Amino acid sequence: MRPTAPALLAFALLAAGFSPTVAAPPSAKETAFFENKIRPLLAEHCYKCHSADEKVKGGLLLDSKAGWEAGGDSGDAIEPGNPGDSLLIKAVLHTDPDLQMPPKYKLADAEIEALTAWVKMGAPDPRTGDSGAVKQASEIDIAAGKQFWAFQPVKRVTAPQPKDAAWAKSDIDRHLKADAEARGLQVAGDANRWELIRRATFDLTGLPPSPEDIAAFVKDPASDDDAFAKVVDRLLKSPQFGERWGRHWLDVVRYAESMGRTRNVPFPFAWRFRDYVIDSFNADKPFNRFLGEQIAGDLLPHNTPAQRDEQIVATGFLALGSMDLNERDAAQFKMDQVDEQIDVTTRAFMAMTVGCARCHDHKFDPVAQEDYYALAGIFKSTEALSGTKNKGGGGNYYQPQFLATLSEGDSKNAEEEAQKEAAAQRKKLQNQIAEIKRQLGDKKKSADQQQLRKRLKRLNQELSSMGANAGKQNLAMAAEDAKNVSDCKLCVRGDPHNLGEAVPRGFLRVAHYGGEPDIPTGASGRLELAKWLASPEHPLTARVMANRVWQHLFGRGIVATVDNFGETGERPVNPALLDHLAVRFVEGGWSVKSLVREIMLSRAYRLSSGDVAANAAIDPGNDHFWRQNPRRLEVEAIRDSLLAIGGTLTLERPHGSPVQRARKGEIGKGGGEKADERIDAPFRSVYFPVIRSGLPEMFESFDFPEPSQVIGKRDVTTVSTQALFFMNSDLVREQANGAAKALLARAGLDPNARIHHTYAHALGRRPSAAEQNQAAAYLQNFLREAKDKSAEQDAWSNLFQALFASAEFRYVL
Amino acid sequence: MTCRNSFTTSNRRDFLRRTSAGFGWLALSGLLGESTRAAAAGAHGSPLAERAPHFAPKAKRVIFMFMQGGPSHLDMFDWKPALKKADGKGDGKNRLLAPQFDYKPRGKSGLMISDLWPELSKHADDLCLLNGCHTSNAAHPQATIAMHTGSVTFVRPSMGSWIVYGLGTANQDLPGFVTIDPANNLGGAQNYGSAFLPASFQGTRISTGARGIANIANPEMDAKEQRKHLDLVQEMNRGLLARTGANPEIEGVIESFELAYRMQTSVPNTLDLNKESAAVKEKYGIGSGGTDNFGKQCLMARRLAEKGVRFIQVTHRGWDQHNSLQSKLQQNCGAVDKPVAALISDLKERGMLEDTLLVWGGEFGRSPQAQDAKGTGRRHNNRGFSMWMAGGGVKGGLRYGATDETGGTAVEGKIGTHDLHATMLHLLGLNHEKLTYRYAGRDFRLTDVAGTVVDDIIA
Repeated sequence: MRPTAPALLAFALLAAGFSPTVAAPPSAKETAFFENKIRPLLAEHCYKCHSADEKVKGGLLLDSKAGWEAGGDSGDAIEPGNPGDSLLIKAVLHTDPDLQMPPKYKLADAEIEALTAWVKMGAPDPRTGDSGAVKQASEIDIAAGKQFWAFQPVKRVTAPQPKDAAWAKSDIDRHLKADAEARGLQVAGDANRWELIRRATFDLTGLPPSPEDIAAFVKDPASDDDAFAKVVDRLLKSPQFGERWGRHWLDVVRYAESMGRTRNVPFPFAWRFRDYVIDSFNADKPFNRFLGEQIAGDLLPHNTPAQRDEQIVATGFLALGSMDLNERDAAQFKMDQVDEQIDVTTRAFMAMTVGCARCHDHKFDPVAQEDYYALAGIFKSTEALSGTKNKGGGGNYYQPQFLATLSEGDSKNAEEEAQKEAAAQRKKLQNQIAEIKRQLGDKKKSADQQQLRKRLKRLNQELSSMGANAGKQNLAMAAEDAKNVSDCKLCVRGDPHNLGEAVPRGFLRVAHYGGEPDIPTGASGRLELAKWLASPEHPLTARVMANRVWQHLFGRGIVATVDNFGETGERPVNPALLDHLAVRFVEGGWSVKSLVREIMLSRAYRLSSGDVAANAAIDPGNDHFWRQNPRRLEVEAIRDSLLAIGGTLTLERPHGSPVQRARKGEIGKGGGEKADERIDAPFRSVYFPVIRSGLPEMFESFDFPEPSQVIGKRDVTTVSTQALFFMNSDLVREQANGAAKALLARAGLDPNARIHHTYAHALGRRPSAAEQNQAAAYLQNFLREAKDKSAEQDAWSNLFQALFASAEFRYVL
Repeated sequence: MTCRNSFTTSNRRDFLRRTSAGFGWLALSGLLGESTRAAAAGAHGSPLAERAPHFAPKAKRVIFMFMQGGPSHLDMFDWKPALKKADGKGDGKNRLLAPQFDYKPRGKSGLMISDLWPELSKHADDLCLLNGCHTSNAAHPQATIAMHTGSVTFVRPSMGSWIVYGLGTANQDLPGFVTIDPANNLGGAQNYGSAFLPASFQGTRISTGARGIANIANPEMDAKEQRKHLDLVQEMNRGLLARTGANPEIEGVIESFELAYRMQTSVPNTLDLNKESAAVKEKYGIGSGGTDNFGKQCLMARRLAEKGVRFIQVTHRGWDQHNSLQSKLQQNCGAVDKPVAALISDLKERGMLEDTLLVWGGEFGRSPQAQDAKGTGRRHNNRGFSMWMAGGGVKGGLRYGATDETGGTAVEGKIGTHDLHATMLHLLGLNHEKLTYRYAGRDFRLTDVAGTVVDDIIA
């Protein structure tokens, strides 16, 4: 039900401290009537859902006079003196199928009569006391909330001095070692060079080290520290760094190349955002700058058209959300989109789940509904350009006119060619439409008519989807300020048709530092939001990102719930270390590479991942980082390793995405053809098209994150479909064949040397004597039993495949 | 703001760390306040290991027959004599369209079912007609996704994945949640996805056409050769375990290979319909045009159910009769009637109907009004439609709930999406308010914050 205008007015007056009903206190007779007839009735039938002590359904309280006077979500419940206009009476009469109270049964006739009589006499109510709802509004105590660790300013701490001072190589180590000593934890020994280069290469590039790289490091006469620093610096410079770390960020910002959900329309230009993210990590763009570009790149100054383009592409961050394009209600759609943008922004940069406050004050964190709508005003004043528009019902498809146009295309020729193609296509469609219209005029048979009409409809859709930008390639998903910039009205219980008062645009009060937000009139506030987040003074931004970086290097954050620093999240296991990293991050100019380097050169990073039995009773889960964590590789690293070892991986970046060439209808319904990529496509997995609800089987079975959701930490599951993949898939077999072929092509290797090579390629280490014997025995047995000529190739393929399948291949130790 | 949830969190984690010997403990790290569930899973190791329900269940498994498009309840299961009388009344878009098929009382219970279902009608006394169903949205994609996941607004785990998360599955040689020939669009994989639940709980898509599951057979090695190869792999894995010390994840890898090896036999065996007699195949309508595909789906479903698969979905598309209602309904029911009836009688013969919950229905129903002034079809209708259940602890021969006089709006015994899900979980022994998963700082449920178990239909 929608509130009527008078109901809204009443709400506003109440909020301002006026009471619309100025009634005399009830007489003794009236009080008796209420106490005998009405109060017991309300208590028995209504309080369960409408009282401050139980529930407050529909926002209506009936356990106090102030409660019903304030009304509920549907407006005033009781019009004193006028039962006919009172929703309460209407509800108990059960005449309106949408408004029946109590919902599961009807009151007795006598009870309904009593209620009606009471309302008619002016609803005399002797109950005093506040309305619970009024209390609720002020429950969030921002000042108290600020005491929570995550909202405290980042503290610069002097590292403690561990007893074993010589052990530590840096402040990170001093923090961890002192902590371990205090807890009685024994720190693991150092990893060996083989383990270390494999760990570092996967961590920084997502690829296995080549046997040559391993040999160079293992033989390097320099000290362990110097030799390893060289390796880290080399890897940080490689373009594969951005592909690895960019993908980490793409997980967080729910990157995908189609809309998903009800109308899974492709996003042909999402890849520009993907490339932007990868390039930014490779360029070591300061993280606060990176943040600002994603939220407000279109509003930042620029010196060149290329810089402008880059910043516009960055705002694709706000347009990549998975929306229900079929939502017919425009207000609902807009608020859902705003919600999605608030969710990704607050979780990605602040690890706060602000979305909870859409319908009510946050139940756990000091975030009031007003905070949510202060942020909502900023995004409501923003237009997301996703190349789609919801129309409700049919007719939702790719619409390039709702994309940003970049200054520069990919290349002039490609652009012209695409334009020519589009013109030809438009002409073709127009001709087909004309022909069908002619036929429709001629024929009379109804079956044919129906077919023709259907075709006509489809062709018309296709034609209109071409729009003004059809064929243009210099397009991007982006965000821009809306034509109408305004504060957002609070949606009562999240209902966009039940509006409260407008909330001035602003940020999250509990995370405020310095002064109040100052958003100029006429501006959406995105730029101000970006600046507020990007400041060294912000209590969350640097901590949250430093924690993400730490997680990617240790398999676990200092705050384990990397996307949730709130009340329901975990607490930092070592708060001083987290603040130390945050301080270093900011001091290093928000350089991700510097932070990564600093962490990797610590002794803690270089520890062995082996167990220390003595710690089992104190910290069996390694919460306090007394060793490295063995970590399962992500699906991308598994696939890329297979291709690299099989000799089919190219490191060149493919241009764009197959989604660009796909048909633009709904995926799985006449669209998306050619968007699929073969699982053995030779490029790196980060360039694989991410189709929502259409991920390759391998990606699904190896825990690729759901691309509609903010996921800073991937699940690690072990399921039998993974085993089947290694046992039987064509991809694994082909790569094993490729690796074996290359091995056998090398001259002058005896079987033992070959086994060494196999281990070096597949696992990055030398086999033990036992493993050497194991492999030799298998090969001999296989060759003895084999009959055909390709047996030797098969034998070595099998050995490679066995190593691929082994747990060690998919783990970094 | 003094409530801290970390008590439960850390205790649970410590508990798991201390006790879990097998794989998948990480997968269960989202379980909160579900210590019995976690304990059971920890003891058996696998995230799919069977777990005790909250209370004694009526049903052990579900077969959900999804009829995509919006089947016309008015012409099949919701008998409306008043609509018949009112045929043609109303102008333009309001013109009422009489039921296009005659209804007769069926079975001892006298359930009114139209002539479209001659075979199913023979099982009328097992059917529990739900005439008061409604859903929040009248568009195919939203309603389809809501039916499968409970949410139109957000990406959420599907009901099958919730159920397998809650109960695990009885047969570790087969997936716990299988969907046969699902739709690619209208949410696609979202309808059998696990969203924020661990991937172990997502549905496995099986096709009636192909060999079932990806990578289920080795194209090169014979069984003996493969076993030797696998022995080598496992030797390597045990070697790693010896080097690293106890590690549940690596133990999990070892276990997953043995399971996969067994699946190579169990999956094709289960899906191989040639193991059934010609008479059984005929009963399901396999081999004859109209019924062939759905017959195969139903027979596969029965074979999977027999083997202990927890949640099985079959799908029949094309129930969106905006026009030619009469002929298309005949065609659809012709394709579905015989296989469904065969499934019911087969389960009954095997003594499985009592603990297998069958659920039949589409994402919504259709309007009492014709499509337009002259139309021969009906429009979408989310305000009132029918589903039916059978077996699994529901009352047979019952007509529960009602729409208004002409069948447009549910008015009695109303069952919304959350109520439906709550009831299904209840029949499986799960309290829908307690089956929760912590994600993004909140405990989520299949039924969000709503849902009432429909006690009146439970036997």
